[in-house]
Amino acid sequence: MPDDTISSPRLGAAWFAQRGWSPFPFQEDVWNAVERGESGLLHATTGSGKTYAVWLAALNSFAKGKRLTAKGEPSKRKQAAEPLSVLWLTPMRALAADTKRALEAPVDDLELNWTIGLRTGDTSSAERARQSRRQPTALVTTPESLSLMLSREDSQEIFSSLRMIVVDEWHELLGNKRGTQVQLALARLRQWNPALVIWGLSATLGNLSHAQEVLLAGHPGRLVQGKLAKDLLVDTLLPKRGVERFSWAGHLGVRMVPHVANEIEHSATTLIFTNTRAQAEIWYQALLEARPEWAGLIALHHGSLDREVRDWVEMGLKEGKLRAVVCTSSLDLGVDFLPVERVLQVGSPKGVARLLQRAGRSGHAPGRPSRVTLVPTHSLELVEAAAAQKAVAARRIESRSAPPKPLDVLVQHLVTIALGGGFTPQTLLEEVRTAWAYRELTDEEWAWSLAFVRHGGHSLTAYPDYRRVEPDEQGIWRVPDRQLARRHRMGIGTIVSESALHVQFWTKGGGGGRLGSIEEGFIARLKPGDHFLFAGRVLELVRVENMTVYVRRASSKKAAIPRWSGMRMPLSDEMAEAVIDELTEADQERFTTPEMQLVKPLLDIQKHWSALPTRNHLLGETMKSREGWHLFLYPFAGRHAHLGLASLLAWRIGQRRPISFSIAINDYGFELLSPSKVNWEEELDGQLFSTQTLLADVIASLNASELAQRRFREIARISGLIFTGYPGAQKSTRQLQASSSLFFQVFQQYDPQNLLLTQAEQEVLRQELDVRRLEKALERMQALELNLHAIERPTPFSFPLLVERYRESMSSEKLADRIARMVQDLENAAGPSDYDLPTEGNDLMALGAGESDLPARRKGRAPRQVKTGLPSTKRQKRG
Amino acid sequence: MHTHIPLSLAGTEVWLLADKAIYWPDQKALLIADIHFGKAAAFRALGLPVPHGTTATNLARLDALLKTYPTEHLYFLGDFLHAPESHASTTLNALEQWRQARASLLITLIRGNHDLRAGDPPAALNINVVPEPLLIGPLALQHEPESHPSHFVLAGHIHPAFSLIGRGRQRLRLPCFCLDNDVLLLPAFGDFTGGWEIKALPGRKIFVVGDGGIWPLG
Repeated sequence: MPDDTISSPRLGAAWFAQRGWSPFPFQEDVWNAVERGESGLLHATTGSGKTYAVWLAALNSFAKGKRLTAKGEPSKRKQAAEPLSVLWLTPMRALAADTKRALEAPVDDLELNWTIGLRTGDTSSAERARQSRRQPTALVTTPESLSLMLSREDSQEIFSSLRMIVVDEWHELLGNKRGTQVQLALARLRQWNPALVIWGLSATLGNLSHAQEVLLAGHPGRLVQGKLAKDLLVDTLLPKRGVERFSWAGHLGVRMVPHVANEIEHSATTLIFTNTRAQAEIWYQALLEARPEWAGLIALHHGSLDREVRDWVEMGLKEGKLRAVVCTSSLDLGVDFLPVERVLQVGSPKGVARLLQRAGRSGHAPGRPSRVTLVPTHSLELVEAAAAQKAVAARRIESRSAPPKPLDVLVQHLVTIALGGGFTPQTLLEEVRTAWAYRELTDEEWAWSLAFVRHGGHSLTAYPDYRRVEPDEQGIWRVPDRQLARRHRMGIGTIVSESALHVQFWTKGGGGGRLGSIEEGFIARLKPGDHFLFAGRVLELVRVENMTVYVRRASSKKAAIPRWSGMRMPLSDEMAEAVIDELTEADQERFTTPEMQLVKPLLDIQKHWSALPTRNHLLGETMKSREGWHLFLYPFAGRHAHLGLASLLAWRIGQRRPISFSIAINDYGFELLSPSKVNWEEELDGQLFSTQTLLADVIASLNASELAQRRFREIARISGLIFTGYPGAQKSTRQLQASSSLFFQVFQQYDPQNLLLTQAEQEVLRQELDVRRLEKALERMQALELNLHAIERPTPFSFPLLVERYRESMSSEKLADRIARMVQDLENAAGPSDYDLPTEGNDLMALGAGESDLPARRKGRAPRQVKTGLPSTKRQKRG
Repeated sequence: MHTHIPLSLAGTEVWLLADKAIYWPDQKALLIADIHFGKAAAFRALGLPVPHGTTATNLARLDALLKTYPTEHLYFLGDFLHAPESHASTTLNALEQWRQARASLLITLIRGNHDLRAGDPPAALNINVVPEPLLIGPLALQHEPESHPSHFVLAGHIHPAFSLIGRGRQRLRLPCFCLDNDVLLLPAFGDFTGGWEIKALPGRKIFVVGDGGIWPLG
């Protein structure tokens, strides 16, 4: 081709120059690397110019300047835009629109004939149709939408001219199955375009080389370090009236509201991060109560709110119209250009990386330090605050690792590819093995996965009526049934949420404004007329029909607080260690920071009634109450490993004699509670903490609990076992509905070799019980001196465990014996109707928690078709 | 531990059985609700892989009951077949074989909501199919638990389950019978069926089943 373009090898650089900017060294690093055709990973803090580092690299390398006419002047004729050349993957739909705007700026200024498109779950069908006719030059999309595109018959053609892929916020995807989904997609695209340039953008992690290896699947690449944390200030909002004003724990700390309101008052804009959606709802309400004049000036933002509501909030932030926004991790990512002055973190910071990320939201103006202020919601969080400051100063940043070969994701991918042009097994196997997660996929696992999508199981006779994917006459595996194809496309993705109902205002003529979505399990417990808190308002339930909860405004102060059963983040190892260090100091009567001085009275009580956990002592507390025999143990290994430890100990004790336990966990420790007598001092011998036969025992304890069954829910949904339904067509699919626990039981009974069951087990081991951390914890516990105290009443450390409502159970008793005992308990409690657990949150302020790790116990199907919103006897039906 | 509990209803005695059925000695009748034959097959036909074996288990449990309790008449209180796709050859062949070996047994199906969609069982099964209610003596056999003006109702449809809550924060969810004023609900018999949790109410009597036993509450 003759050289008829403007000879500017570096369009992006030219754009920087136009604006009077000069590139940072790391940006030039990336530009040079991409020009050489290299892939890589760029890590830097938010707002440091990551986006332009890779985007201008793409323009430098792949865009052509304006075509010249014969006279050597820039052509005025409008030319067709370049074909699809760059894919920009972003983990959140919410970020896509912002990203698109950022990418458009240089393209517009440079008058390139590139178009930028957007494709997410929110993209209209008209826009999607337009893209089908002609793809934009650069497409901003999500992992799920990319998989959907791969399920198109003409997918290879669509991506034939692709030059570069950018995976934004890779640290958010790396550790989960969405990341695995991306790996599979990248493997496919790389197969089609071997020269493809792949770049990941990531926040700082403890194991960046792993992040790069997973993304590039072992191909060589560059690790570029961007501009790192500006000056960072972590401090604590200390309660003025001393620690005794706090309740010990389990409290959401709304007593700190006046202090927080005061902080908001003195800053232009404030982000108030909370750890859960329920907590965000409560804090927003409490702030409004404290400052009614702020109505309209403060806002609420979390993942269950309607898209429009969130857009409004984000726009308000950008335009500087909002004084403060109470939010969850929904504002952790992206939305780079927010003028936020102040960031508060309500409750435990949980991890150093997260704290750094949230801190990075503030002080974007050059020369201003980032600052995050911790707001302890109970006294022990003062210890965490002191610990967090030291951990941040020492930059003890957590690592994240990618899941190893999840078969549910592979199975979904097989059907996707069968739709997207079909496949031959050998070729696809080779491709799949180029994805990091599946690099060691065995021939057996591959054969099983193929068998699963073809026959549903391993043996030909097991599932005679079943067919999802089949080879055609040419041996190409395809999906023969259009209905199934449609259903698969609906279900693509690996994000599994509780089945949710829309929340909408009730109007006579039809639907009023949409507020967001709420879990079925929560609504099923309310009656029409009941009040609940949602989207920052107290609402009255009017009726439930067609998957929609109709509500009207209510003025009452008392309202139930929704619970969302998302996984709660565990305290990281790095943070836990820092906390133990603080407690060890305190044990030696050294209280050097204001936080620790403030919490001293409480630690004194703990020490007086029992003891403090330290680097050298494992603290245990035993207690007898009306409920039974309690053991509290504090290994400080994070909630996931605690669940594993507690299950393991319960199971090992259960092997000695028939016994039942209920288990409560938090980040500091766990509780075992038995309704029958236990002599803890005798039981807690060295055998109990042994790491020998650890794996076998943990697996056995797993089978004795409901944990694997819970994890199976996600696997069942991703592998297509559970179909969540077409929008607006619930009725036709009702006979297809069965709960994942039902599936789990059926598989366990009739197809125990099913690899999805094995996967459920492995995932529980890896994720929910954190077996690696568990083993480390056991080793540590063995080395520690057990400091066992019989306590008369709950201590500051045991109280939060004692009041935790969400519990696991573990039993080695015969079922009949358990039933008999519990029936007897009922008799003793004078009738079943008087003996019930306290119902979920009635009072706005006096509530423990609204969110739990443990999914709500499934309460049958929600009253979705019931006119009154109440489960009437006539329609409450399970199929 | 009891394997059955006798209950006097409208002047006649029925036995609530630990294996989720009712035996009516006067009539030598066995009552089964919500067996949902062919549910797994329907799932498979619609592309969801559910293992084989639920039909065989259901039939084996049914046989065990017929062996223990001398039965002349077997009543299904609705939801015999799960869906139109349940008319799969493997399921129907198994049912026919089973039926041929028990040709003298009288079988009646009171149609439930699933039967309306799924269609009646094939003639070869020799099942007498009737709409609800079927009045026999003082009892009305139904699928849906609606009160009857003159008869005491035995019904299914709900798949009732109850959560036992005990000391030490123990919790256990079990299928149950549920006796209200003039309606007795049967638990779902089928092996691949879920449960709907019911609450204890004043005047309501609940019998939970599990581990081969049945327990009255309160």
